[in-house]
This record gives sequence, C-alpha cells and structure tokens, in this order.
Amino acid sequence: MPQKLKETDVVIIGVGMTGSIIAKELAAAGYKVVGLERGQPRFTVPDFQSPSVHDELRFDVRKALMQDNTREAVTFRNNSSQTALPIRRWESFLPGTGLGGSHVHWNGQTYRFQANDFELASRTRQRYGAKFLDPDISIQDWGVTYAELEPHYDRFEYLLGTSGKAGNLNGQIQPGGDPFESPRSRGYPTPPMKEHFQGATFRKAATSLGYHPFPQPSSNLSQPYTNPEGVKLNACVFCGFCERYACEHYAKAVPQTIILPVLMRNPNFELRTGCQVQRINLDSTRRKATGVTYIDAAGREFEQPASLVVTTSFALNNVRMLLLSGIGARYDPSTGKGVVGRNYAYQTMSTVASFFGEDFIVNPFMASGASGTLINDFAGDNFDHGGLGFIGGAFIGAVNTNGRPIQYHPVPPGTPAWGKGWKQAVVAHYNHTIMLSLHGSSVSQKQNYLDLDPTYKDAWGQPLLRMTFDFPKNDLRMAEYVTARGVEIGRATGAKQVAGNPRKGPYTITQYQTTHNTGGTIMGSDPKTSVVNKYLQSWSVSNVFVVGASNFPQNASWNPTGTIGALTYWAIDAMKNRYFRNPGPLVSA
Amino acid sequence: MIARGRMTACVRNPPTRILVLGFVATLWSAYAAGGEPVGDATRGAVVAQACAVCHGKLGEGNFPLGYPRLAGQTENYLRKQLEDFVTGRRSNPLMDAITRMYNEQQRADAAAYYASRSAPYAPAGAPADPRLLARGRLLVRTGDEARQLQACANCHGPDGSGEDFAGPCLVGQSATYVVNVLNEWKSGARNNDGGRQMQVVATRLDEKDAAAVAAYAESLGHAK
Repeated sequence: MPQKLKETDVVIIGVGMTGSIIAKELAAAGYKVVGLERGQPRFTVPDFQSPSVHDELRFDVRKALMQDNTREAVTFRNNSSQTALPIRRWESFLPGTGLGGSHVHWNGQTYRFQANDFELASRTRQRYGAKFLDPDISIQDWGVTYAELEPHYDRFEYLLGTSGKAGNLNGQIQPGGDPFESPRSRGYPTPPMKEHFQGATFRKAATSLGYHPFPQPSSNLSQPYTNPEGVKLNACVFCGFCERYACEHYAKAVPQTIILPVLMRNPNFELRTGCQVQRINLDSTRRKATGVTYIDAAGREFEQPASLVVTTSFALNNVRMLLLSGIGARYDPSTGKGVVGRNYAYQTMSTVASFFGEDFIVNPFMASGASGTLINDFAGDNFDHGGLGFIGGAFIGAVNTNGRPIQYHPVPPGTPAWGKGWKQAVVAHYNHTIMLSLHGSSVSQKQNYLDLDPTYKDAWGQPLLRMTFDFPKNDLRMAEYVTARGVEIGRATGAKQVAGNPRKGPYTITQYQTTHNTGGTIMGSDPKTSVVNKYLQSWSVSNVFVVGASNFPQNASWNPTGTIGALTYWAIDAMKNRYFRNPGPLVSA
Repeated sequence: MIARGRMTACVRNPPTRILVLGFVATLWSAYAAGGEPVGDATRGAVVAQACAVCHGKLGEGNFPLGYPRLAGQTENYLRKQLEDFVTGRRSNPLMDAITRMYNEQQRADAAAYYASRSAPYAPAGAPADPRLLARGRLLVRTGDEARQLQACANCHGPDGSGEDFAGPCLVGQSATYVVNVLNEWKSGARNNDGGRQMQVVATRLDEKDAAAVAAYAESLGHAK
C-alpha cells in the first residue's frame, strides 16, 4: 500500500523549465506547491563546473544529461505495420532529465512563432484553397492567437534576458532585425550576440541575393543581465559547449540561472527529487484528479493528494503520463477517433555544407548555441507556396554551435566513412567549412502518433511510450525546395564546393536531428480534436493542466522553447486569474 | 588570421585547453584582425631587460610591491595586455608610458620571451591561515553557488594554471597583485576583458574572498 501524504494545493510533475516557472508563480501566489522531479538535483556550482563539464565523451557521446533509457526508453517504428523496438541509445532526439530538465542542455535559441502558425489550418485554406493539402495531413489551429500570446512571449524573453535584434516593433520594421516577425511590443532585453565569421560570411551572401539576414536570438547572453525575478546572469564566452552540456558560466538561461534561486527560497514550495510519478489518480467519476502516485529513489510508493495537478515533463512524457493515467481518449489511427497521442510532429532538418580552401579560416569552435545569423525568407508562410505543392518552410542560417572535435567533422560527399581518407578529409575541411542549417517545419498527419507499447515496460513495470513516425511527403518536398535555396546561398559565399543535404525519408532514430518533439496532448477549441483547451486545461479532467511542446498541433519552422515559455505564462495567468477563482472547466465543451 | 601561439609552460593540462579556445572571441575581439606580428622569444630577451627592474630579473615578479609575475604567463594574455596599455583599454601610469616606447613587434617578442621562461617562485613567508587557503581553493576550483560565483578554473585553467587565449595563469602570482587587480576590476578602473566577466566576478567577491583567492594563487607557487 502506498503511504498517503498530506494534501497539497498543487503537484507539478517534472521540475524543468515550465515546471519551475509555474511552481514559482503559484507558490508566490500563496499556494502550497510540491515539485516532483524524477532526476537529480543539480546547480551551476558545483555540478556544471570545469573541467568535468566539457567532457565530450561523457556528455556528447554517452549523453550524461539525458533520460536514462536503461530504465525508461521510448519504442519506435516508422509505421503501424512494423513492430516497435526500444531506443537503447538516444541519437535523433535527446530528452533530458534532472532538475531543470531538458532546458539545462538547450542551445538558447529563442524564437517566436508567427501569427500565421497559430491559425495554420484556416489561413492555409484561405490562401491556397481547401484542396491544397495532402489528404492525410491533420494540421489545425491552436485555439490561441499570436496577439493573445505576445505579452507572454515578452515576459518569457525578459525572464531569460534573450539577446537579439527586434525586426518588427509594434508594426514598425526595424533595420537589421527579422522583417518577417510578427509585431513585438518591445525590443529584446539585451543586444544581439557578436557575429562570428561564419555568420558574417552568410550575411553577405544572403544580402547579395536580396534576403534579410538577422542575428539569431540567443539566451546565452551577450552581456550581464538581471531579470525581473532579481536573478543575475553573466555574459557568454563563446566556448562552444551549449547543446548537450550545462553552462558553467551562469551565461545560459536555464532554470538554475533564471528562476530556481527564487523558487527554492519560497517556503510554499517543496522540491522532491528522485521521484518517479506513476500516474495521476482520478476519483470514481474519472472527471477529477485526486493527486498522484509516485515511487521515490528508495523504491517507496507514495500517494500525494492535490487539488491541482500540472504535468510539465518533456513533451513525450506528458503524453505518456496522460495515457498511463487514462485521462482523455487514446487516439486510434484506424478510426481517427480519440485525441491523446494524436498529431505527433517533429522538425524537418536539412543542411548545406560550403567547403572552402585552406586560406579561408572559419574557427568553428568560436560559437555558442545561438550566435549565428539566419534568414526567415523561406520559413513558415513567408513565401508564396502556390504551385509548390507543400506548406511550411525553414529558416536558413549559419547557426553552427560548436567545433567540438569528436562531434564536428564536416567532409564533402564521397569521402570514405572511415580510415585514412576520412582522416585526411577531416583535417582538410574542419577549419574551412561553413555549415548551414535549414530548420524545417513539420506538419501533423494521421499516421504519425504516440501510444503505449504493448510489449516493452519501464523499470517500474509501466508500458513504454511508442512512437510511430515517418516524414510526411509534404515536409520532404519542403526540405528539397528550401535546400535548393540554401545551396544558392552557399554558392554566393564563394565556396569551392557546396553540398546540399535535403532531409529524406524514412525517418531514422540513429542520427541526431533535433529534440523538438511536439504534439500528443495538443491544444485546440474542440474536445474532439484536442486534449487540452486554449488554457492548456484537460478537457476531460479540469483539475489537470498539461504544459509543454506536447500542446503544439503541428510544429513550425523554429525551435519551440520561446513558444513553450509563452504558453507557460499564458497558462499561469489562466490558473491564477480564472481557475483558482472558480475551479472547473474554463471552456465549456 | 590569428597566429597560433605556443602553449606555455604554465598550461599543465593540454587536453583541456582546446575546450576554451572559443573564449578568444571575447578576449581578442579588438585585436585579432589579421596581420599582427609573431613573437620571437630570443629577440624578446633583449626587450625584456627593461622589464626586469620591476618584474624581476627572471620575470618572477616583485611580491612586496605587487608587480606581477610574468615568467610562464600565457603568451596571448601578455600580448593583449601590452597592446591594451598602448591603446588605453587598460591603464597603468608606468605601463602606459613604457609600452609605448616599443613597437608592436617588440611587444610581441617580449610576450613570447616571458611565456617561454620559468622562474623560481617566491619563498613561502609566514604560513597563511589554512581556512583562508581552503576558501581560496574552493573558489578557484569549484565556485560558490550562493554568490553565483563560478570556478576561476573555468577560464584560468585547472587550479588557475592558465588557458592560452582565455585566462591568465594565476599559479604563484603575487597575492598583493591579485588583490589589487581584483579591486581594479571591481571599481571599473580595469575593464579590458570584453564580456565584463571579471567585473561581475570581482563584484561578487567580497574583501575576504578576494584575499582568499589571492592567498591561494600565491600559495600554488610555494608547492613547486
């Protein structure tokens, strides 16, 4: 029998970025909050310090900061006719674990989605007609608009101290910024990062073709900053160890550097680490959550009663938590009915490599996770898709984040995969190559979904999450188109050789792409096609909120963190100003 | 493009030095534009005769007066400081005038010379307070979360042993000099590090912690 603990007002499942921010706000509002984190507690000092923090073998290759997949894996298959197998080594995507969550090892790339993205289905219909899309595409509107989220994007960027150059201030286009961005109410809190040589080369080439380059918005900061919570961050030193690593310099905005110092001081908050939540418990009506059951690091089982449960784990784990708890109807791809696990989407990543001669020195290691230069001319719906046969697009940029010797060795096509020939090519090209990333959108479609695996279980005996995913044809056509544009830019840099590598199917989990797993608990205005309402409240169990990239109905052309942060503050406002005043459904079904 | 500086005797842990090479972007932003001379240690020995008056015959420094130890210092750090005295990015009444008496090649030669030298460390005086040394060791190697102080070692190398392009060697440096220079960072009198890293750190170190770091740095030479 689990030991029953004293009831609390709020339980947070997963103390990462969204969990810390929500916990801080609700604890400050006077609610008793218990944060349950499955991983270890960790702080900049002593856990992220030199020299151990720059261990490429430990963090890049062995993925020390990631979810322990010997205990809790995800199974994968490309389509429903296959049998899914557990992912035993993370490669394609890297879900984190531990206090601060995946935010600890992010790159700091802090974008906003565009107004169009939040109304993608209706605007696509409007601009290109009802028959433009492939029939199996299941994109939909978010139920929330950019205008509603703008103040929350702003609040999130000021929490992080994001360094960037505004491109559209209240409708006024700003030189040097991104002219395609939706209007922002004020500029970034700190000026953009210094431009590195790769970025400068790209900027000149893109400008020569008439495009609109701008500095990548970075939450590895360009200068010291004190955020509205009173927490101080330092300036980035361009060490090139952001993604997959924690920052030793207090320069990357992560929960430890933006909010945990405030949260941990609040007596209304209690952090419990090493606690694996098994399920959200429901009462006999199955319309109300009574709390959660978890197992601690010593193997003891506890029931933590709570008035409100907020699940803020990694996107994939949010979906799994609802499936394990029986909250919401499971999606069934054969009938199209059910919602939980529906509209899983990803990101469609392509690359263009520009190879130069020995006299052209790039110094790729002088970088941070977000110190590049990019264009949005081929992102989202910023260009006319009429006649192209796809929707979506990609940002194109010189956004390479590092020159770490084990991970980074660009070589031209045709180079042997190993041996002397490969080594010679690495030496010849390591310091003389500019890599462009093409960060492509991902439409949702009926065949791509998440459910529980019928065979494989985690260390606690619970079914693993099963991912069924392959790239939609729409996105492969998009990748081909934008890669051709990237190759043109590569040629304009004056490179000796330019190699475009458009994303091709089938999707493989053995090659790193991004950790932008989205969907599965999507938001929307119709309970038949969404799991949570526009306030991220479960349609079926009103005292459960689900917050994260799992809310995205499909994925846009940019990294998701900015939008997750905006949704987080948006949901907090709904909890504080609406839900707690009158607990119950905030939108009638 | 950037001349490849030799790694100096002070860098004791070569595998880690590559990890902070990126720091060059911050420290060298005003200086790395192409075409600068390559230092020559042999020629530098001649230039360095003038430095010996204050910095010691072998570059060991003058501990009572707080003139820094130069022997074994990272070459790119020395070069940057000499150039910064010339351009006014760093200021010291003596050094401003002296550095301007030499041309850029000569300054580069002097930096190469001192980086290549080894010199005896100052003899241990009265034993420092062990609690002070322990606190200094903690700050240099680990940092202090409560004050959001990262380890000095992140930029200055393992146990302050220096990282070429990133941070100078602290091993065996005069404690008086270290305290003085931390005070300069704190007051803003010195601000030539590009990203305001040292200003932030110096501001968070109170007087006692600054003394602890300085005592520990000096004591690292005694262990030699």
